[in-house]
Amino acid sequence: MFNESLSVIKLKNILLVTVPDDPGDDMIYELQNKVLSAMEKYESAGLILDISSVNVMDSFFARTISETTQMVTLMGGHTVVAGMQPGVAITAAELGLHLGHALTALDVDSALEMLNHNLANAV
Amino acid sequence: MTMDGKQQGELPIISESDIVACRKVIRTLSTNAGFGITDVTRIVTAVSELARNIYVHAECGKMRWNIMHQPGKIGIELIFEDNGQGIADIEQAMQPGFSTVKSMGMGLPGVKRLMDEMRIDSIAGAGSTVTIKKWARAR
Repeated sequence: MFNESLSVIKLKNILLVTVPDDPGDDMIYELQNKVLSAMEKYESAGLILDISSVNVMDSFFARTISETTQMVTLMGGHTVVAGMQPGVAITAAELGLHLGHALTALDVDSALEMLNHNLANAV
Repeated sequence: MTMDGKQQGELPIISESDIVACRKVIRTLSTNAGFGITDVTRIVTAVSELARNIYVHAECGKMRWNIMHQPGKIGIELIFEDNGQGIADIEQAMQPGFSTVKSMGMGLPGVKRLMDEMRIDSIAGAGSTVTIKKWARAR
């Protein structure tokens, strides 16, 4: 029940992580560790967190995303959180959650465009 | 009516994985009770916050759930009990940004916004009980 694993997919110079629907704390920690090691290993310029399957985001999850974003920024990358469900967005706003400096996008396609645009402008 | 007709129950909160277990049970119960997807998300998020509070601040505790029927409406009541230190200052704990541990400090005031009713009973040194309720129109 709790042994779903998380994969970090490398797309050129971008990392893509699809977060499962109801991630436990272990998985959220694993996400942070895997992302940071992959950032170093592949010298990635950006990270997309696809949370379109996620149906609950509490303050612990939001804080970890915010911290991970900060760490990725310190390593020189950009983070885009993509595909938040409407109910999750409503709840997060009511609960007072924020995602720190993470950029947000409607879906993974827009997140990719956003990152490619940012990277092209940075050169 | 829930799927098997059960109207109340309880779950232990001892380990981290119990937080996920509580979320799953309450997602099913509130969906079956007739709550819409946004309210289900609000309820499950509140459960996650309060179950984690118990896991972080107390050694163990439990969540009791209760499906309530009233004329024209159906509700869910969730009671979180722990044997921890208790909340020394409830008024302070309800201030946004207040946190005794590393967090956004949105827990209790945030949960109150997600639910229709919330009540905290706490005796310093003898644990806390947080009761939350949400109502939906009966189908």
